[in-house]
Amino acid sequence: MRESVRVIRNLVESPWTNTLFFDREIACEPGQFMMVWLPRLGEKPFTLSYPNGITVKRAGAFTDALTALEPGDTLGLRGPLGRGYPPLERPALIGGGVGIAELRLLALRSESPTFILGGRTAEEILYFDEFQSLGPVKVATEDGSLGEKGLITDLLPVDAGSYAVCGPERMMVACRSVLPDDRTYYAIERYMKCAVGLCGQCTCSGLRVCVDGPIFQGAKLEHMPDFGRRRRSKSGRWEKI
Amino acid sequence: MTALPEISPPLINASGILSYPEVFRAFEASGAALGGYVTKSVGPAEKMGNENPVVVCPEVEGQPLLNSLALPTQSPEDWETDLAETRLENARLIVSIYGGDSAEFGEVAARMSPFADIIEVNLGCPNKVPGEVTLMESIGQRPDLSGEVIGRVRGATKKPVIAKLSPNSDYLAVAAACMDAGADGLGCGNTLGPGLAIDTGTGKAILAGVTGGISGPALKPVNLRMTYECYARFGCPIIGYGGIESWEDAVEYALAGACLLGIGTAFLGKSTSEAAGLTRRIWEGVQAYLGGAPFSELVGRAHREPAPESARA
Repeated sequence: MRESVRVIRNLVESPWTNTLFFDREIACEPGQFMMVWLPRLGEKPFTLSYPNGITVKRAGAFTDALTALEPGDTLGLRGPLGRGYPPLERPALIGGGVGIAELRLLALRSESPTFILGGRTAEEILYFDEFQSLGPVKVATEDGSLGEKGLITDLLPVDAGSYAVCGPERMMVACRSVLPDDRTYYAIERYMKCAVGLCGQCTCSGLRVCVDGPIFQGAKLEHMPDFGRRRRSKSGRWEKI
Repeated sequence: MTALPEISPPLINASGILSYPEVFRAFEASGAALGGYVTKSVGPAEKMGNENPVVVCPEVEGQPLLNSLALPTQSPEDWETDLAETRLENARLIVSIYGGDSAEFGEVAARMSPFADIIEVNLGCPNKVPGEVTLMESIGQRPDLSGEVIGRVRGATKKPVIAKLSPNSDYLAVAAACMDAGADGLGCGNTLGPGLAIDTGTGKAILAGVTGGISGPALKPVNLRMTYECYARFGCPIIGYGGIESWEDAVEYALAGACLLGIGTAFLGKSTSEAAGLTRRIWEGVQAYLGGAPFSELVGRAHREPAPESARA
């Protein structure tokens, strides 16, 4: 499903991150994604952080332009795409950096969530106050500006009914070494082109992240040796993670 | 003519769909009824292809898909490494190739030949990166250039060579030149057009490449006719591509003359297990239609049964 939406608000979350709110809500499952289109600049996958919003970290020309949009500006959306999370019981939501954005909708739709959040500095810890109103929140920052000084893995393991992990792939690999594969779900990111399972660009060990994921159970990663190791670039060439 | 190796079931993916060897292995592991897999088109040098968006998806069933990937490819060296690691269980590997001129086609064919059971020569991709100067568009339009390309590929490999035609051409003339130059069969065919889609919200062309090749159900009658006419004229092995979504589509292409059937757009939105399930349903339907007869009896039967004179090429 393709549609154009208008920006109604551009909220600055941190020096690098903004949330853009649209004039329309999108029905989706947590973990599904949208392809966001800016004419002449490109189209990239984002998970909704609000039913009518995405949270974007600046990392290049496309996200520079996206975070500079003003109320009244138009952008294109295609989706929702992919498979999201199954129902999670008493989940620990483990987010690193802008990966925290992926967990917000999941948190709102989960019973008794707890939060394990990590970032370089306090400014990377999105929605801290809001998450505190939903459940216990533990934080680790590399510079110690919020929570414990250290890495997110320093806060693990924790007791929970299930686990959802979203963040840089190396962080997810580190988390996986201490979390139970049968009750943990990981959000995999790959360069996407068609995003509907045709072109094969977003392969991770042969599974197409856009249709087989982007959410994968840990047990599945057992058979996906490319996770944490390599991905295909825009041309298809392998690059190391 | 070199005979094609046996590919059973006679279903494959279309080039540019699934694309990579590790995806083929995942399909095999899921029990897909594909007897062969076709790589993305391998080009002479690394190429990024078009910026996104590269697809315009159907909004309702039956609408066509537009794509303008414009042949992104890793380098032939990287393909060699990838394909050397590839171990398909039972399926055959078809390597699709392209080049900017006949020398490049020949060079890529020579490099890919050791890994391929069949070389498929992409003569008709309608997409390019805006501003790109390429002969790709004109090669597939011109019998002389297509014949030259197939001649170079023929000289570079002993593997069977399939010339994949463009529906946007005088394809019988192109096919004749390709068969004269040593092709062992024909691919019928590539995407149609290219076509255009404009977003009413922004008022702009959706595809970054502006136009894109048309596939899906809208392509089927066009490429089915190409299959029919090419079989009537050349009686050679033909791979039918375009809008194959059901066993009925597959049977139609076989009756028209296709001995191999390529699936592409029908995989849209399907997980690996769903896509594998679709291939099994198509193959089971074809087998039920055969009622125990070999698939080869179906191939080209529309020509052998009494048919109205007007339907003949």
